[in-house]
Amino acid sequence: MKSIAILESGFDKELELQIAPELRAGFPSPAEEYLQDSLDFNRDLIKHPESTFYGRVIGDSMVDAGINDGDIAVIDKAREPHNGSIVVAYVNNEFTIKYLDTTHKEEGYIELRPANPKYKPIRIDEGDDFEVWGVVVYTIKPWN
Amino acid sequence: MTYFAVVDCDNCYVSCERVFRPDLNGKPVVVLSNNDGCVVARSNEAKKMGIKAGTPYFKLAQQFPDQKIAVFSSNYELYGDLTARVMTIIAQQAPEYFRYSIDEAFVVLKGMEEVDLKAWGENLYKRIKQGVGIPVSIGIAPTKTLAKMASHFAKHYKGYNHCCLIDNSEKRKKALKLYPIDEVWGIGRRYAAKLDSLGIHTAFDFAEKSREWINATFNKVVVLRTWRELNGEDCVPNDEPAKKKSICVSRSFPGMIGDIDQIKSYIANYAARCAEKLRKQNTVASVVGVFISTNPFREDLGQYNNFAEVNLLTPSNSSITIVKKATEALEKIYRTGFQYKRAGVIVMSMDTGGGIQTNFLDYDAEQFEKMKRLDKVLDRLNKVNGTETVILGSQQFRGKDSSGKATRFADAIKHEFKSPNYTTRWSDIIELM
Repeated sequence: MKSIAILESGFDKELELQIAPELRAGFPSPAEEYLQDSLDFNRDLIKHPESTFYGRVIGDSMVDAGINDGDIAVIDKAREPHNGSIVVAYVNNEFTIKYLDTTHKEEGYIELRPANPKYKPIRIDEGDDFEVWGVVVYTIKPWN
Repeated sequence: MTYFAVVDCDNCYVSCERVFRPDLNGKPVVVLSNNDGCVVARSNEAKKMGIKAGTPYFKLAQQFPDQKIAVFSSNYELYGDLTARVMTIIAQQAPEYFRYSIDEAFVVLKGMEEVDLKAWGENLYKRIKQGVGIPVSIGIAPTKTLAKMASHFAKHYKGYNHCCLIDNSEKRKKALKLYPIDEVWGIGRRYAAKLDSLGIHTAFDFAEKSREWINATFNKVVVLRTWRELNGEDCVPNDEPAKKKSICVSRSFPGMIGDIDQIKSYIANYAARCAEKLRKQNTVASVVGVFISTNPFREDLGQYNNFAEVNLLTPSNSSITIVKKATEALEKIYRTGFQYKRAGVIVMSMDTGGGIQTNFLDYDAEQFEKMKRLDKVLDRLNKVNGTETVILGSQQFRGKDSSGKATRFADAIKHEFKSPNYTTRWSDIIELM
C-alpha cells in the first residue's frame, strides 16, 4: 500500500519554491550521456517513463495554481508525494487534481486543497479508503 | 549460490483494469475473453464467489443473481502497455531477467550473494505496485522450479508480504509438503495422474523418492530434471519457461559467431518460425523477445548473456513484423567482443480464452480497417447475389445465427464492456476533476 510521506513543513502555497529545485534536478541526470543530441522532452523531462501517465484537467478547481480546464497533467506514480505536492487522487469515484496538505496528519486527517476559493478542501480522515494515485510533475497547456 | 526469482502479476488483466478503477479494489471483477465469450480473468473476490474460469458470460447473471460483479471486455492494448511497464521496472532492478509470458518473468540473481534477497523482493514489489499500480507475487529460490513454487506461496499467503524466499532446507521441505504435485513445473497432467496412482500427491512425496526410482518409473529426462530442481539443483535452461508459456525458437549456432549481421540472419529465421507458429495457432504476439548467450563451456572466453524485448502496440503474427521487432530487440542487447553460441526468439501472445475461437484480425487495427472495407464490399455482393455468395476464408467463426448462416464479421466482434485505452490514446486519458 502506498503511504504518504510527510515533510514536517507547513503547507506552502509558494509553489515556485517547491518546484524550482525539482526542475533543476530533473534536467541533467538522464541527459548527460546524450549531451551532443538535441533536447527531447520525453527523454529529458520524464524521469520515470514506466510510471508516467497523463490526465486531462476538467473544471476550474486549480485555476489559482495556473492549471486550467483542458490542460494535460503529466503524472508520475513513482514519485513520493510531499506536503504541498500537486497530486492526483481517487476520491468519490473520480480522479481529482489538488494540492496535498498533510499539515494535520498528526491530528488524524489530511486535506486535498483546491486552488480556487469557490471550492472547499476535501478532508480525508484516517481510516478512509484513500490513496494518492500519482504526483503531478508537469502540466501542458494549449494556448491556441 | 545463484538464486532465481519468479515475478508474476496477480490476476493480471483484472489488476490492469483496477489501476484506473481503484473503486473496484476488494470487489469481484472479471475480464471476458475476446468477443465477450467467457471469463478469462478473475479477481480473488470473484474466485471466492465461485466464478470459474471459462464461465460463459451469459451464465454469470444466471449463476450469480443479485450479485454485483464488475465485468470488462478484454482490453489487450491496455494490458500490453501496463505489463511492459512492469517488465521495465523488473529490468531496472535485475542483473538478468527473462520474460516468459505476458505477465511473468524470472530474474537470475547473479552477483547478489551479499544482498538481502527478501528485502530486494519486497522492494521490487513496492516499486511495481507504486510505480504502475499492479500487484505482483515474487518467489525466490535456488532453482526456477522452486522459485515458481515460492511465488505461489507469496500469492496465497499474506504473511509473506508478496515475496517468499526459500533459502534453506527446512523452508524448502515445508513448502514442498504443501504443494500439490500437479502444480509443479515440468510435471503436467499426464505425469501427475501416474504419480497420484503411485501415492505421490505432493511435491515433497516426489522429491523424497530416489533418483533410481524416478529413472525406473519414468525414464524421462524432463521428470528427472524436475526432481533435481525440487532438490535444489539448478538444471532448467533459461529459455525453458518461455517454451512452455510462449512460442520460443532457440538453437545453438553451428560454430561461434561474433558478427551481428550473421546473428541477425539466424534471429530472422527463428523469428519467422515463431510467426508461422503464431499463424498456425491463430493467435497474435504482443511482445517479441530475443536472447543471446556465449558458450558457457568456454571459460577461457568472455561470457555474456542477455535478453531484451520489444512491444507491439498492435499485436501481429506477420513474419515481416515479427522479424523486424526481433532484430530491434537483438540490437538492444548485442555487444561486440563476444563469441556467441546460442540465441532465441520468444513471442508472447495474449491469453484470449482457449475455448473460444479467436480470429487474429480483430486485434490488428490496420487489418481491421481493411477488413471493414472488405466487409462492406462483401455485404454488397451478398445483398445483390444472395446471402453467403462470398464468405471469408479467414473468418472461421463458429457463431451462426438462428437460420444457420455464418455471423457477419463486423457483428461477431463484441467488446461491450471495454475500458478506455488510458495509456495509449490521447482521447482516452483519465479526467481530473
